[in-house]
Amino acid sequence: MTNTYEPVIQTKNLSKIYDTGFRGEQVHALKNLNLDVFPSEIFGYLGPNGSGKTTTIKLLLELIFPTSGQIKIMDRTDISSPYVKKSIGYLPEGSYYPDFLKGEEMLKFYGQLYGLTGKELYKRIDEVLELVGMTYARKRMVKGYSKGMRQRIGLAQALISDPQILILDEPTTGLDPIARKEIRDILSRLRDEGKTLLISSHELLEVEMISNRVGIIYEGNLLVSGTLDELLTSKDRIIEFSNAANGEVQEIKDKGVEIVDQIKDKVYLKARDDQELFVAIEIGKSVGLQIVSITPKRETLEELFIRVISLAKIGRSKKDEDAA
Amino acid sequence: MKTLLDSIKGPWFIAVYTWREGLRRKTLVGFLILSLLVIFGATFMTSFINQATVGDVTTDMSLRLIKDICVTAISIFGVLITIFISASVIPTEIENHVIYTVLSKPVRRYQYLLGKFLGAQLIIIMNLCLMGGLFFIALYIKQRILPTLLLWSVFLTYFEFLIVSALTFAIACASSSSVLPTIAGLFIYITGSLTEYLKDVYNRSGQTGEWFDSLVGYIAYILWNVLPNLQRFSLKTKILELQPNDPPTDVLIPQLVLYGLIYAASGYILAYWIFRKREV
Repeated sequence: MTNTYEPVIQTKNLSKIYDTGFRGEQVHALKNLNLDVFPSEIFGYLGPNGSGKTTTIKLLLELIFPTSGQIKIMDRTDISSPYVKKSIGYLPEGSYYPDFLKGEEMLKFYGQLYGLTGKELYKRIDEVLELVGMTYARKRMVKGYSKGMRQRIGLAQALISDPQILILDEPTTGLDPIARKEIRDILSRLRDEGKTLLISSHELLEVEMISNRVGIIYEGNLLVSGTLDELLTSKDRIIEFSNAANGEVQEIKDKGVEIVDQIKDKVYLKARDDQELFVAIEIGKSVGLQIVSITPKRETLEELFIRVISLAKIGRSKKDEDAA
Repeated sequence: MKTLLDSIKGPWFIAVYTWREGLRRKTLVGFLILSLLVIFGATFMTSFINQATVGDVTTDMSLRLIKDICVTAISIFGVLITIFISASVIPTEIENHVIYTVLSKPVRRYQYLLGKFLGAQLIIIMNLCLMGGLFFIALYIKQRILPTLLLWSVFLTYFEFLIVSALTFAIACASSSSVLPTIAGLFIYITGSLTEYLKDVYNRSGQTGEWFDSLVGYIAYILWNVLPNLQRFSLKTKILELQPNDPPTDVLIPQLVLYGLIYAASGYILAYWIFRKREV
C-alpha cells in the first residue's frame, strides 16, 4: 500500500550501546535496527518495557547519539537541521511540561521555538487547542491539569507547527477509555490528513485499531515489521456446531479437539490447518452435531505480540544454554 | 540577516522562559527577600542609633555601618543567587524532562545553552538591580547626594557574578544534579576572591623542603593562574572611604569588563563543548 513511497523515517543498522558503571559494563539497547516508516501511515512501534522503543525515539530526535548506523528523516541524514526538526512533532512519555505556565503560554513558547510569531502563532494555538479539546482550559496553569489534560496539551504542543511527522511515546497510557477514544480519533484524523505517525505503545488494542503497520522490538532487536494484514494472517478457523449437550462436548474434548467456546447448545472448535479442520468436522458429525458455520479466525495483535516475544525468549534461553 | 535574527530568536525565547521560571523558584525569591530585608533593616537600625546618639562621629559611624552591611549583603546574597541559578538551570531541566520537548524543536544545542545562560543572566541582573536600587535609595536618603560610586560598584559586581555564573554553568552542563555545580560555584567564588592569598601561598611554599609543602604551593600556583581574580571587581573599600559621588579612581573599568567577558565567553564555550554530545 503506502510502501510505494520513500520512507520518511529510515534507520539502517542503527545500534546503541550504553556504558553503565565504571567497570566497562555495557547495555546493547538497540541492535542493527532497520526501520522504515512511510508517508501518511500510522506505524505502531511495540515492545515490552526496556525493549528499546524510547531509545529509538531519542535517537531520532538526537537527544542521544547512535553508537553506529544511520538515520534518515525526510531523506536527510543531518537530522539536527532546522528543516528536519521543523517537520517533527514529539510527544514524550510522561507528559513533562513547564508547570509554571498556562496552557496557552506553553503552546506560545513551543510555537516560538518553531519560528511562529504574531497572528500565525495565535491562530495555530487556537486551532490545536480546539483539535485536542482544550480550549476551555487554555488560561489554566499546566500544574493544575489532570493526566488526561496533560496528555492533550502535550499532543497540542507536538502539533503546534503542523508537522509532517508525529512521534508519540505512549500517547494513551494512563487515560480513561473515553479520553483514549478521543485521542485515537484525533490520531486517525491526522493520518487521514496525510501526516505520518510513529507511535510507541504498550496498548496493543489501541495500536491495532489505528495502525497501518507495526513493528515489534524486543531486547533491541526488531523481531517483525509489516502491515497488520501481512502479520495477522492465520490459517486458524472456527467451526460452529449446534445441538451440543455436555456429553458430546466432553466426547469432543476427549478426542483432542480444541474447544474455544460453548454457549448454550452451541460449541465452537478451533482448527489450525486444513487437516485439523477435516478432523474436527468428522468428530463433530460423529457425535451428532450440526455444522452452523466455518469462519477464518484472524490473529489479534496481542496474540501476535505474545507469540513473537515468547519465541524470542525461547531463542534467547537456548542461546544462553549453548553459551553455558 | 534573517538567518541571524532567526538564530537569535530561539535563544531569546528560551532566555525569557528561563527568567520566568526563575521568578517562581522559592529559594531564589527567598534569597532576594532576605537580602532586601538586610539592606532595609540595616538602614532602619542605623537611623535609630543615629537619632539616639549625639554628634557627627556617630553619624559617620552609622553611615559606614550601612555601607558595610549593604555592600556585604549584595555580595553574599548576589553570589548565592548567581551560583544557585547557574548551577540549576540545566540539571533541573534534565531532571524534569522538559529538555526533551525543547531540544526536539528546531533549536540547536548552542542556541539552547545560550538561551539558558542568558535567562540566568536576566535573573542575576534583576536581583542585582533590586538590591542595588534599594541600597541606592537608602544612601541617597541618608546623605542627599547621588551615590554614583555605588552604581559603578553594582556594575562591576555584575561582571564578577558573570564570571562565577559562566564557570558554574559550564560545570552544571556536565552534571545531572545541581548539588555538584553549586559546590563548585562556591569554590570558584571563594578561591577567586582569595587569589592574592594563593599567590602568597605559592611564594612561601617550598621553604620547609617537604613534598607536601611543595605540592600545596604547586596547586596554589595552578589555581592562581586558572581562576579569575575576583578581588579586582570589588569597590567596597572605595565605597566605605570615599564620598558617594566620587569617581572610582585607580580602577580600570573597561579592562575589567573585558576581563569578565573573556572569562564568560570561555565558560560558555566550555559549557558548549561539554553539552554538544551530552545524552539527555
